[in-house]
Amino acid sequence: MARTTTATVALDDAARSATHDLILALADSKRLLGMRYAEWILGAPELEAGIACASMAQDEWGHARLLYALLKEFDVDVERVEHGREPDEYCNMAALDASPDDWAGLIAVNVLCDGALSVQLEALRTSSYVPLRQRVGKLLEEESFHAAHGAAWWRRFASASDASRAALHDAVQARAADVLAWFGPDGPIARTVLDSSVADGAGSTLRERFVERIAPLLAAADLGDVFTNIEPDFAGFEETRRRPAGRAPDEATIRRIRGDRNREFLLD
Amino acid sequence: MIFEVFARKARGEPLRHIGNLNAPDAELARVYAFNTYDEERWFDMWVTPREHFIEVFNAERENGDRR
Repeated sequence: MARTTTATVALDDAARSATHDLILALADSKRLLGMRYAEWILGAPELEAGIACASMAQDEWGHARLLYALLKEFDVDVERVEHGREPDEYCNMAALDASPDDWAGLIAVNVLCDGALSVQLEALRTSSYVPLRQRVGKLLEEESFHAAHGAAWWRRFASASDASRAALHDAVQARAADVLAWFGPDGPIARTVLDSSVADGAGSTLRERFVERIAPLLAAADLGDVFTNIEPDFAGFEETRRRPAGRAPDEATIRRIRGDRNREFLLD
Repeated sequence: MIFEVFARKARGEPLRHIGNLNAPDAELARVYAFNTYDEERWFDMWVTPREHFIEVFNAERENGDRR
């Protein structure tokens, strides 16, 4: 079903492909992130935090839905993308592969992963690809409360006790390298994205914006040098999928995301 | 700490009390209020710590004493 509209005609083949990959990386990351929030609806430290997780999960799944729908413009079988892929076909941020095993981990995901996705979205506010540009403002509006939630809990962890601070440190250290690498190398794809004005930043530019954005939180937790000391390692990094080869999200999560158990109820 | 939540449907309308929540500080109270009560379309929303309320009088207390 070839259905190329005016929206994608303006992009040349390389830009079109890079834009598709970028949308898929965002959509898959948001779908996984929604799952990670949803896992804490029951079991968060306070009832209100559980409600916050439910709300953020809804937002992320809504964003993923919207982003997957954009792929129709790229002659993609969206039904298969959403319900038919194996874990090793996903293009999500590697730091979302596994479920955080404690609340400090969820807060690190909230600040780092959700924050990194927002930095990427910010870079699309003036995108030459109109369907993205038109939607990104609404997504970012909803994201402001995710950032506020993450920041408030981060500060609590940083100041409550030595143990809570140590838990936050561990959770951040465990994810820092994957989050930084997610922005990708300054390679040909980043070049294409910039040259075609699909985004106003890519690779190291976005990495710097991200570190700048979270600098006050890092300082509050004495984590100021965690990110500056990491040189992203792109050996084995798949630039198109924006993740390291040979790793994948866990099978159980993907089965739930695909809706395997409810397949017979799937309606058009 | 208990926070009380207020909102209004449109500019110029009186603030309505819509509920309360538990939060350790004002920053999280803002977030929790939004997450919990933003199902409807509000014009604006406010939270305040319950302890900041100053009672003027209460008709049921002590033979309706208005001091």
